[in-house]
Amino acid sequence: MSFKEIPHTADVKIQALAPTPGALFGEACAALMQVMYGDDRRGGTKRECNLTGEDQESLLCDFLSEVLYLSEVDGLVFSCADVKLDGLNLYAVLDGEPFDPARHNKGTGVKGISYSGLKISHDAKGYMLEIVFDV
Amino acid sequence: MIDGVIRLAGDEWEIPKGFVPGMRVPGRFFLSDSLAALLEPGAVQQLANVATMPGIVRSAYGMPDIHWGYGFPIGGVAAFTLDEGVISPGGVGFDINCGVRLFTTPLAKADIKKPRELVESLYKAVPTGVGAKSTQKISPADLTAMMEKGARFAVEAGFGVERDLDRCEDRGCMKQADIRAVSPKARARGIPQGGTLGSGNHFLEVQEVSEIYDEAAAQAFGLVKGQVCCMIHCGSRGLGHQVCTDHLKDLETATKKYQIALPDRQLACAPLQSPEGKAYFGAMAASANYAWANRQLIMDAARRQFMRMFSLAYEDMPLVYDVTHNVAKIEEYAVDGHRVPLCVHRKGATRSFGPGAPDLPPDLTGIGQPVIIPGSMGTSSYVLKGTTAAMERTFGSTCHGSGRVMSRSQAKKKQTGKEVADHLLEQGIIVRAPNEAAIADEAPEVYKPSSEVVEVVARAGISALVARLTPIGVIKG
Repeated sequence: MSFKEIPHTADVKIQALAPTPGALFGEACAALMQVMYGDDRRGGTKRECNLTGEDQESLLCDFLSEVLYLSEVDGLVFSCADVKLDGLNLYAVLDGEPFDPARHNKGTGVKGISYSGLKISHDAKGYMLEIVFDV
Repeated sequence: MIDGVIRLAGDEWEIPKGFVPGMRVPGRFFLSDSLAALLEPGAVQQLANVATMPGIVRSAYGMPDIHWGYGFPIGGVAAFTLDEGVISPGGVGFDINCGVRLFTTPLAKADIKKPRELVESLYKAVPTGVGAKSTQKISPADLTAMMEKGARFAVEAGFGVERDLDRCEDRGCMKQADIRAVSPKARARGIPQGGTLGSGNHFLEVQEVSEIYDEAAAQAFGLVKGQVCCMIHCGSRGLGHQVCTDHLKDLETATKKYQIALPDRQLACAPLQSPEGKAYFGAMAASANYAWANRQLIMDAARRQFMRMFSLAYEDMPLVYDVTHNVAKIEEYAVDGHRVPLCVHRKGATRSFGPGAPDLPPDLTGIGQPVIIPGSMGTSSYVLKGTTAAMERTFGSTCHGSGRVMSRSQAKKKQTGKEVADHLLEQGIIVRAPNEAAIADEAPEVYKPSSEVVEVVARAGISALVARLTPIGVIKG
């Protein structure tokens, strides 16, 4: 796990690190699921996701919004996401399981993915993002 | 205080034009010295950013529960002209028409012999927390009716009485709802969640009226000292969240199309008269209506538990009022000596209509609107009344709650959920939640003291104290 929660008064702010942009998006997905459902999450059920963005930040927001939608409507809790990025085109395979109220009641609902405070950067060590989830 | 902010008088502060480039009007906010010490620079920056938006009138306002949000700060209010102004989801929030309602009962605290049993029965009756689904079978046609009719949908379906509608802002329905602007994704999220409480800061609380400050207003609102009542806080659930997400994306494109320069992407907006602006307004109004129907369904479920446990009649539990916190509405105000319609955005702020204002039920015209301000789990909530000063100074607006001062991660480090629940139980307050973390997240200490927040709005004259409510039992989402 290469993400952590950093203090934000009203909402949940996440900082994530990864060696590639695709892995960074995968970490953001894992962070979203952890905030909503806790850390007891398994795979087994797949969902695919195809998106095109105007820039990397909006592509990340769109991707996480899609994860939020699929999780809520299909009743799935995702354990991980294999994300492939080709420029501003994204293809992801999400791996999850049906929501189990006994195991997945450790988190809080996320209402939306915010652009405020959203940063994606990279240096010699890899890629880093900061993002705020409205809870 | 933060450099560059000026104290005007008493609790009123100004962010002068120039604090950030492009400000069209100043920012103003209301804070006592002790609350000012808790003010985050990010919240001031966000209020100044709002002041750069096209068509903004007079000032961008911050209520005393102001804190750092996204787009507008929480506790932010701004009004825009209809011809040159804009509408922005960042001024409404993801949880469109997140709001609060309060109903009373004829019970006294001593009548509740088994408070834990009452709390448990309410917890079972109202689906709560992440992943909870509606106990109602809501068809696509029902969903359409929820978005078009608001609270009336629920009343017509047998989940309330006609009088409930008299006690909601706009009678629980914004007529501008345009369901064509609500995406299939938003509908898919709305169907399974009708009548669910949600999570985070949403709650259902059994309270006692512990103090009356204004007998005449309390009587008009139906509040009596010692009476048990029930407060419900929730919004438009996934449907509203998806509407915000969908339209933020469209309005980002519109911001570029209409060449609107903004300091924050989350303030994405479009002219009110543009197709994009109208589409968001229509979808937002549909979401607001869904939220009113949702709160009506939850209130019905709660009333039925009181009926079952205490042999009460449905009519024994009248609604005091239902207020909305996150919304944009067209309202008329005096600007430069003329009454003009404006689009008032309230993001974590409450309408505070004073005596004689439109949209008040006839029996409250001489008193003003009930303003319901929830506290945190261990602290008091308040009922206030709207004032003429609010109509003149803050576009009929006041605070909406206490405002957080501590992050969720800090809160969890400080105390476990069990410690918080045990501490509250020592004070006679029963807490029920799906998990311990939900309790730790919302511990009383993570909020500003509600008493200080309402004292500031009362001193500023933008609402006036009517009654104090203390918690007996709390259901956290």
